[in-house]
Amino acid sequence: MSEETPAPIAAAREDGRHTLTEAEGKELLASAGIDTPSFAVCADADAAVDAAEDIGYPVVVKVSSPAVTHKSDWAGGIGVAVGLDSADAVRDAADEILTTADERGIDADVLVEEAMDLDRGTEVIVGGIRDPSFGPVVLTGLGGVFTEIFEDTSHRIAPIDRAEARSAIEELQSLPLLEGYRGSEPADVDALADAIATVGDLVTEHPIAELDVNPVLATTDGVIALDALVVLEDH
Amino acid sequence: MFEPSAVAVVGASKVEGKIGYEAMANAALFDGPVYPVNPSASGELFGSEFVSSVTDIDDDVDLALCCVPGPAVPDVLEECGEAGVGAVVLYSSGFAEAGDEGEELQETIVEIADEHGISLLGPNTSGFLVPARNLRCSFASGVEEIPAGNTAILAQSGGVAHTLAYQSRRQGRGISAMVGLGNRANVGFAETIEYFDGDENTDAIVLHVEGTDDGRGLLEACRASDTPVIAYKVGQSDVGDFAESHTGALTGDHELYTAGFAQYGTPTVDATDDLMDAAAALGDCPTPDGPNVGVVTAQAGPGIIITDRIQRAGGRLPKLSESTQERVDEILPGVTYADNPVDTGRPMPEFGEIVTAVAEDDRIDIVLVYELFEEALGLPVEDLDGLAERVGKPVLFATEGIEETLAEEREALEAAGVPTFATPERAADAAGTLARYAQLQAGQPATDGGTGTTPTVGDAAEPEVTADE
Repeated sequence: MSEETPAPIAAAREDGRHTLTEAEGKELLASAGIDTPSFAVCADADAAVDAAEDIGYPVVVKVSSPAVTHKSDWAGGIGVAVGLDSADAVRDAADEILTTADERGIDADVLVEEAMDLDRGTEVIVGGIRDPSFGPVVLTGLGGVFTEIFEDTSHRIAPIDRAEARSAIEELQSLPLLEGYRGSEPADVDALADAIATVGDLVTEHPIAELDVNPVLATTDGVIALDALVVLEDH
Repeated sequence: MFEPSAVAVVGASKVEGKIGYEAMANAALFDGPVYPVNPSASGELFGSEFVSSVTDIDDDVDLALCCVPGPAVPDVLEECGEAGVGAVVLYSSGFAEAGDEGEELQETIVEIADEHGISLLGPNTSGFLVPARNLRCSFASGVEEIPAGNTAILAQSGGVAHTLAYQSRRQGRGISAMVGLGNRANVGFAETIEYFDGDENTDAIVLHVEGTDDGRGLLEACRASDTPVIAYKVGQSDVGDFAESHTGALTGDHELYTAGFAQYGTPTVDATDDLMDAAAALGDCPTPDGPNVGVVTAQAGPGIIITDRIQRAGGRLPKLSESTQERVDEILPGVTYADNPVDTGRPMPEFGEIVTAVAEDDRIDIVLVYELFEEALGLPVEDLDGLAERVGKPVLFATEGIEETLAEEREALEAAGVPTFATPERAADAAGTLARYAQLQAGQPATDGGTGTTPTVGDAAEPEVTADE
C-alpha cells in the first residue's frame, strides 16, 4: 500500500462508505493519469448551469450520491440526462434530480459532464479486482456482447507493465475491432495498455477490492474513462 | 522430508491391507533403517522390531509416516516434535477437506507442527516417492516398480500423483520424485517447487493443480525455478458467471490460473499424458531458443498430421534455409519434399543425415522426427547420438511398429538424448509445449491454439534472436 491515501478514497473512508461515487472514482483515475471527460459536481441548478457553460455544450447531467449506485435506473430514469445543449435543459435536469432526491430524503448533488461521442471509438472494459488467491489482478475486454456473450476477456496478475498489458489486449479475439476494420480508425492500443497497467497499479497500491472502468472509450488518440465504479476493501 | 537418514512408520500394522501394513511394506524398501511404531504391537515387521513411540527410538529418525486416524494425529505430532523428527507424512483424511471440525483439527496440527518446526506432507495424501533413494513412502501397491528418472511430479491429488508415476513407468521413463500434496497443511506447491528446483536429479517439474489459496505464491515459485515447470490446471468448466459484466463476475478461477501461468513463464497442458510428454521433452533436451520447429518424416501422412497439429499446439514451421534445402537435395536427390516438413517418402539409410541437416539449420529451434520402424534399417541412433547437445536444440522422435521389436532401438534413442513418443499427435503436442516454453521464458506471448495469431505453413519469418536463459 502506498503511504498516501488518495483524496477520493480518504473521503469515502471518512464517510464510512465502501463505494466511491462516480466523481470520486473519476478523480482517482484522473489523479493516476487516466483521461476522463471534464466534469464538475454541483450542489444546485445554478452551479450546474455555470459548470455546463465552462465545460461547453452538449453535456450530461447525472445524479451524484453515495445512495445511488445504478444512476440510470434511479427514480424512473431521471438520474441520467444526456445530450443537454442549453442552460435551460441543464437547469431542468438538475432541478428534477435534486427535487426528487429531496423528496426521497437522500443527499445528492448533480454531476455535470462533457458529453462524449461514442462513435469516436470502441467501448472497452478495464477492471481490477483483488482475488483471494492471486491478489491484485486486471482484466480487459471489449464492451457489450463481446464480454457478456462471447466471454472474450483477458486477465493478468497485477502489477504489470505496458508490454504485458499489450499482450493481454492482443490475446482478445475481438482485437481486430481495435485495430480498425472496414475503414474504421485503429484505437490507440498503447494508451489502452497504459490504462490497464494503471488500473493494476491502483488496485495493487490502494485498499481497493474492485475497480471497474466500464466503459473506456478507446479512440485513435487516447482512451477516456466514461464511468468508474470503485469498491474499497473492508477495513 | 525427501532425504531422511531413518524413517519411522507410526501406526505400522501386521494386518495386510491396512494402510499401516502397506505403508510399512513400501517404506521397508528404503536403504536406511525403518522403524515400525505401534504401542499395541510387538515382534517384528519386515525385519524391524516394533517400538511403542517415536520417542523410544535410539536413532536420528527424521521422517515419520503417520498411518493413524485423524483424531490421534495431534498426539503423534507432539511425540515427533519431542523426538526431533523434522518431517511427517499424514495419510489420514478427515481434515480441512471434511467440514468445520476437520478444518479445526487441521489448524491444531499445523500449530503443533509449526511449534516444533515440522514439515507436514498432507494430510489426506497417499504420500511420496523418491525412487533413486528407494524411498517409497506411499501405501499404494506396485510403487516399488516405478523407476528413477528426472521428472518431479507435484500433484495436488495423491491419486493423480500415482496416475502420473505409473504412466511414467509405462512410457519407459521415470521420476526423480512423486509427491501427493493433499491438503497442503504446511508443505505446498511453492515449497516443493523450490526444493525440487534445487534437486540435482530433477530436470523437469510437472504440476497438477486443482486450486490453491495462494495462487500468487505458486506462480512466483514457478517463475523463480530454473528447472522447467509445466502445469496441468484442472477445472476448466468452473468459470465465473458471465451474466453480469463486472470484473468480479468476469474473473473465474481458471482464467487466472491460465493467464497467470503464462505470465509467469509456465506452459500449461490439458491432459496427464501431455504433462509427462512435456516433462520428457523439457527434461531430456536442451532448452530451445524459440518456437520454430523443423519436421522430418519418413511417411507423408503422419508428417501432415504433425504439421497440422504443431501450429495449434504452439509451434511455428518456418521455411528451411536455402543451404539446408540444397543439402537435403544433395543427400537425397529427388527427395519427395525438401522444405519443412522434409518428407523422405520412406525410411532409408540417409534418414539420420537428413535429420542432422535440419537440426543444423539456424532457422530451426526444435527438431521433430517421425519414422515408422523398419526392422532392416532400425532407427538412426548413431546419427542422432549427441546431436541435440551439439546443436543445442531439442530433437524429438516419434515412431511406431511392433513394440517388442523396436524397444531396444527406442531405448537406445532415449539413451542418446532423444525423447521418443508413441503417436504423431503426442510428439507434436510436446514440440508445441517446448515452443511455448521458449516464448514464455523469453517474455513473449506464446502462440496458443485458436487465438487466430498462428502463422501459416511456410511462414518464412527470420529466426528470432532471443537471449539465452
